[in-house]
Amino acid sequence: MEEEETYLELYLNQCAAQDGLAPPRSPLFSPVVPYDMYILNASNPETAFNSNPEVKETCGGFSSVDLSFLPDELTQEDKNQPVIGSKHETEENSESQSRLPSPSDIGLGSNSPSLSNPHSQQHPSDTDSVQASPEKPDSNSLPLASITPMTPVTSVSECCGIVPQLQNIVSTVNLACKLDLKKIALHAKNAEYNPKRFAAVIMRIREPRTTALIFSSGKMVCTGARSEEQSRLAARKYARVVQKLGFPARFLDFKIQNMVGSCDVKFPIRLEGLVLTHQQFSSYEPELFPGLIYRMVKPRIVLLIFVSGKVVLTGAKERSEICEAFENIYPILKGFKKA
Amino acid sequence: MHTHCIYLLKRYSLGDARRPLHETAVLVEDVVHTQLINLLQQAAEVSQLRGARVITPEDLLFLMRKDKKKLRRLLKYMFIRDYKSKIVKGIDEDDLLEDKLSGSNNANKRQKIAQDFLNSIDQTGELLAMFEDDEIDEVKQERMERAERQTRIMDSAQYAEFCESRQLSFSKKASKFRDWLDCSSMEIKPNVVAMEILAYLAYETVAQLVDLALLVRQDMVTKAGDPFSHAISATFIQYHNSAESTAACGVEAHGNAIQPCHIREAIRRYSHKIGPLSPFTNAYRRNGTAFLAC
Repeated sequence: MEEEETYLELYLNQCAAQDGLAPPRSPLFSPVVPYDMYILNASNPETAFNSNPEVKETCGGFSSVDLSFLPDELTQEDKNQPVIGSKHETEENSESQSRLPSPSDIGLGSNSPSLSNPHSQQHPSDTDSVQASPEKPDSNSLPLASITPMTPVTSVSECCGIVPQLQNIVSTVNLACKLDLKKIALHAKNAEYNPKRFAAVIMRIREPRTTALIFSSGKMVCTGARSEEQSRLAARKYARVVQKLGFPARFLDFKIQNMVGSCDVKFPIRLEGLVLTHQQFSSYEPELFPGLIYRMVKPRIVLLIFVSGKVVLTGAKERSEICEAFENIYPILKGFKKA
Repeated sequence: MHTHCIYLLKRYSLGDARRPLHETAVLVEDVVHTQLINLLQQAAEVSQLRGARVITPEDLLFLMRKDKKKLRRLLKYMFIRDYKSKIVKGIDEDDLLEDKLSGSNNANKRQKIAQDFLNSIDQTGELLAMFEDDEIDEVKQERMERAERQTRIMDSAQYAEFCESRQLSFSKKASKFRDWLDCSSMEIKPNVVAMEILAYLAYETVAQLVDLALLVRQDMVTKAGDPFSHAISATFIQYHNSAESTAACGVEAHGNAIQPCHIREAIRRYSHKIGPLSPFTNAYRRNGTAFLAC
């Protein structure tokens, strides 16, 4: 345990010492987990790192998940350097896959302050530049990494730059300890617990705006986040709340169970035609539900298509599934455009 | 009153002209009302036989057991309803919480009810076979094709109107529907799922009436000397009729609306069973009126 913590400290110190400008290298791993680890632990070195026992606890708690990355990183010292740059790059790439850089990027930059607020004590430039990127690359991060696309941009022209926006993410995590729900409900803010109605504590936090269902077994469901990173961040926050109440909460098996996205094709769609030609996939009962329910096989996504042109996509475990599903459906919808 | 609802249902969404006749709507309402009341009474009898205190969906399914096609359509409807609640729940987190809080496992509840019940009454295995049956529902297909043809020639304003009228149903104003059926005067009342089914059956009755009335009307429009005029599908003729009427609208507003006489003739033909197996092919009869929806 002690060794793991010293490793973590070492790594974090190295990360904190960097400025965030680095030559791009090929990405080694998916950006999601390392980002998050970096963000949350990066704040710790800024506060009284070594003397804070709680922080050590947190590190120990998270090490069970994050350690798998450490050996890879620590074997090659210089990998730490471009890590941030490559992370930026992968974010860039995954974004550019689905769309061309557009003004909406800059608009989305306004999301980043929400992430950086709780951590903006010291090293604002450092944390800001890194924390801005997990959201969506805003205008600040674009000059950071020269974009070398890793995968070919796929059929952007088809979708005319429309990208589904994520509306809700449902994730689960195992805190791996038995919890006293009554105690949690009594001591935590924004917690409700009604054992007669439902055997879980319902907790809410404002940033990121989410709701969590915490069960006595230690399992937790987190809903309401608008991105994968936010969902993970929120889950961590709930875990920390539980920890602060004295439970040995850990953070195991974080998994995104469902992602919901929505977008607007901006033209009315003739659903009667669609349901007739795609009978095996669609059901349309307007007297029951105003939208057509389209069950796409590959990827396995359910789309709700409305006459107005709004499309809701659900059932995804990954963002790429939502984008892919939309790319598949867009030409079909264009065929049923109501003039 | 429900005349308004029926009026809007008929118009358009189920195949009638854009402005259906008021008399037709009143007549259709009357027919649907009578049929539903009769159905409700028979369902009450069935549940009394069981010694139950509420009318459950099982009672209604029991009444429908004879007509496989209509039963299958009802089952499909119930499944879609389940499926839709499942999906909508995943999207809206409030719904998700609501569902969790309500405790019981609500997923696929209608499907479970149907499956369990049919399992219990099925002697020959043919009812359960319906769950796996993937045959195309011809009536549904015809309705879809008709709607598709209608919508193809509409402009976006008309289409928006059409879609709105399609979303009307008897299940939207549940309390009004209950009052209309005068459930409060009954000893045994239907439960929530049973009410859903009844609302669906009311909708189906109107749909059936419109289908049949269109057929009747087609029969009446016979071209002299054309031996095959009876073989042309109703939707085809209606398509041509409506294509002409949109060109000369206003004056022709009632031109191709369904008349009460069409409805009456449709009911007469439906009740008049021909053939040796006729008593066995349809569900409960009472007072000589066959049920259109089951």
